[in-house]
Amino acid sequence: MNAALGTAGVALGLAASLLGVVTLAVGLRSRRPKLLRVGRSYAWLVLGGAVLATVAMERALITRDFSLQYVADNGSTATPALYNVATLWAALEGSIILWALILAGFTVGVVVKFRTRLTDPLVGWASLVMLVVCAFFFMLLVGPANPFTTVAGAIPTDGPGPNPLLQNHPLMAIHPPMLYLGYVGFTVPFAFAVAALVTGRLGEGWLAATRRWTLLAWGFLTIGIGLGSWWSYEVLGWGGFWAWDPVENASFLPWLTGTAYLHSVMVQERRGMLRVWNLSLLLSTFSLTILGTFLTRSGVLDSVHSFTESPIGMWLLVAFAATVVVTVGLIGWRGDRLRSPGSIDSPVSREGAFLLNNLLFAAFAFVVLLGTVFPLVVEAVNDERISVGTPYFNRMTAPIGLALLFLMAVAPALPWRKASGELLWDRLRWPTWAGVATLVGAVAIGARGISPLVAFALGGFAAAAAVRQLALAVGAARRQGASPLRAFVGRSNGGMIVHLGVVVVAVAFTAASSYTTSATYTLAEGDSATVAGHTVTYEGMNPEDVSPQRTLVSARVRVDGGQVYEPALNQFPNATQTIGTPSVRVGATEDVYLTLVAAPEREGGPVVLGVIIEPLASWLWVGGGIMGFGTLLAAWPTSRRRREDDPVPSAEGGRLPAADVARMEDGEAGRDDVPVPSGVG
Amino acid sequence: MKRTLSILVPLLVVVVALVVGSSGSDGPKTSAERAQAIAGTVRCPECQGQSVASSDAPAAVAIREEIDRRVAAGESEEEVQAALVSSYGEGVLLNPPGSGVAGLVWVLPVAGLVVAAGGLALAFRRWRPSTAGPPSEEDRRLVDAARRRRRAGP
Repeated sequence: MNAALGTAGVALGLAASLLGVVTLAVGLRSRRPKLLRVGRSYAWLVLGGAVLATVAMERALITRDFSLQYVADNGSTATPALYNVATLWAALEGSIILWALILAGFTVGVVVKFRTRLTDPLVGWASLVMLVVCAFFFMLLVGPANPFTTVAGAIPTDGPGPNPLLQNHPLMAIHPPMLYLGYVGFTVPFAFAVAALVTGRLGEGWLAATRRWTLLAWGFLTIGIGLGSWWSYEVLGWGGFWAWDPVENASFLPWLTGTAYLHSVMVQERRGMLRVWNLSLLLSTFSLTILGTFLTRSGVLDSVHSFTESPIGMWLLVAFAATVVVTVGLIGWRGDRLRSPGSIDSPVSREGAFLLNNLLFAAFAFVVLLGTVFPLVVEAVNDERISVGTPYFNRMTAPIGLALLFLMAVAPALPWRKASGELLWDRLRWPTWAGVATLVGAVAIGARGISPLVAFALGGFAAAAAVRQLALAVGAARRQGASPLRAFVGRSNGGMIVHLGVVVVAVAFTAASSYTTSATYTLAEGDSATVAGHTVTYEGMNPEDVSPQRTLVSARVRVDGGQVYEPALNQFPNATQTIGTPSVRVGATEDVYLTLVAAPEREGGPVVLGVIIEPLASWLWVGGGIMGFGTLLAAWPTSRRRREDDPVPSAEGGRLPAADVARMEDGEAGRDDVPVPSGVG
Repeated sequence: MKRTLSILVPLLVVVVALVVGSSGSDGPKTSAERAQAIAGTVRCPECQGQSVASSDAPAAVAIREEIDRRVAAGESEEEVQAALVSSYGEGVLLNPPGSGVAGLVWVLPVAGLVVAAGGLALAFRRWRPSTAGPPSEEDRRLVDAARRRRRAGP
């Protein structure tokens, strides 16, 4: 029943995608608006198919229908409800269903949002591209990643359940969907970029149409990455939050190129430049999501030679290659129309800063990509196995990160076109002092080491620059009568809040990775150990907690004579290794991270306890939250657009129509910002 | 003069703070700290990309114990790493080697950045403005006139 329902859903999705592609293609070719309008119904049908497949799989998981191979492999009667629902994305086939569902949702979102422009070839082509991508993912569900194959032979009565690491923390229920919303969300700007290339309408129209979609996708990706990092901190038990693991890198790569795009697109909106570059960034962001899926899902990372074992690897590799070839071909074909009309007058200008920003982000992405695939290349070429791990990534990316922090402080203060040293110094004076004060403060409380100190100083500098920018813009909006909340809404204010979040993450990352103290102690009952000024006292074991899902042993550890924390070890019935559950005393200045390394071998015996003191770790998630909030503010629809003749205060005290100000002032603020009064004429 | 001073003073403070901040960070390390640092550069053979310092898998624990033993016996970081490479292969080090084909992983990003930065510098040269210079008196008069018309209202 579930298998039939699910297969029907997949078939419906695939058929509707293909028919939709054909209908739109014919409609676009023969210019028949009627056919283009029909395209909308196909998007809804695709969504219907995806929903049907999802419902069938969830139903199978919830009713424990072990006749499905996927449920037999990943489900279990003992899995608690939350993790049972989340088992949909615990393995390859199910996660492709989730991918298809989200993709179909975005496709419907596009046809609904642009319902009045369905006959516009740009929208028609974009919907067509979305449907092609839909068709590809439904093909995966029909072919190499079919989740609805039934068990051959006797139907088992129980299954092993999902990987123990995936049923150990509630974050697993939200991290993958968030990440996928981000990945898949970038399909929308990608589709419009391809549509712009095909139709030759390479002006700024498609950029404006996809601005919010891109922000939304970026915001989801940011939150997804943040939650993944939080999950690994809470679950993996080594106190780390970022391991430069290929799976993490795969999510980080599109984030890097997407971030570069969000910045450089402003140069195109404002000056009409960098068209090829912006298209390339979007196209590579999408390609990188496919490449990332290939890297993490094909088994290629275990060994070059293992990816042929799973047929999906070949499919994803072909899709990646096809995307790259088609998009590079399109850009080459349209090369003549992509010549930018403008030019950049001075490197010391807002657009110069954005270019440098892009150079740094591209270099960052290149390092991460190279480090991730390099072992594969070396193995393929030389049959030699090498590792590229954390020390490499840290050493290569730290300078880039520091340069980006510096740029983040200076760039918002730079005017478009050309800056004078005097103006720049005037705007950066107090942010500079804030950076200096941060540095002196950090040294005073005992922080040591050149690169962490430089990071703190630049963090203070960048944070103050963002606050200054915010204060000016919000102040100006308030004087115009905007409500205190409304004054914060908008792209540049949201952007500055995202910057603040980045600074918080950067400072926390630096502190937690530079000043962590870790130690392992063997303690008898009642014994204490002191590490980095914190005393941990082992007070004994809790009684064993046995449930069908797992057996849990936990120790009672009192921290600094206060509350008791209970790090634990889980034994899952179908896993050989025990899985730890760390217990963390979260603090504003530092976390005390406790792990149970080994339970006592006999009743009342000594226990092996891991203690990690990690400064500022909790600020990583706070910073991630701030970034998400800032993105929301930037994408929030403003109640009304500023009209050309809205009055804004001018420096002369009089009132000037907005349009004149926008044209004349060198302006710190972008087009849809509230203009900052800064010396007109 | 005043402006030069207002830039020099924070610069001086930064230099002094960094000098103070960099001292005392590299004193003589205990052998436990050295062992911990080495363990951070060695890959845990059983885990995906984790170092043996951050894993409690049996293989990681075994390698950690070997590192502790060798450090206690007075071996240097290079000696310990060489010994591990000879028994586990080059892949046991998280830092790829600096020589041979593998050395490319260090060289390529730097080379790429240099080439890209050079390209950008060239582009800026080519973009040198043809119409430079501040607005002329006539430009200002035009703007003022437009402004007055606007203020007068349509």
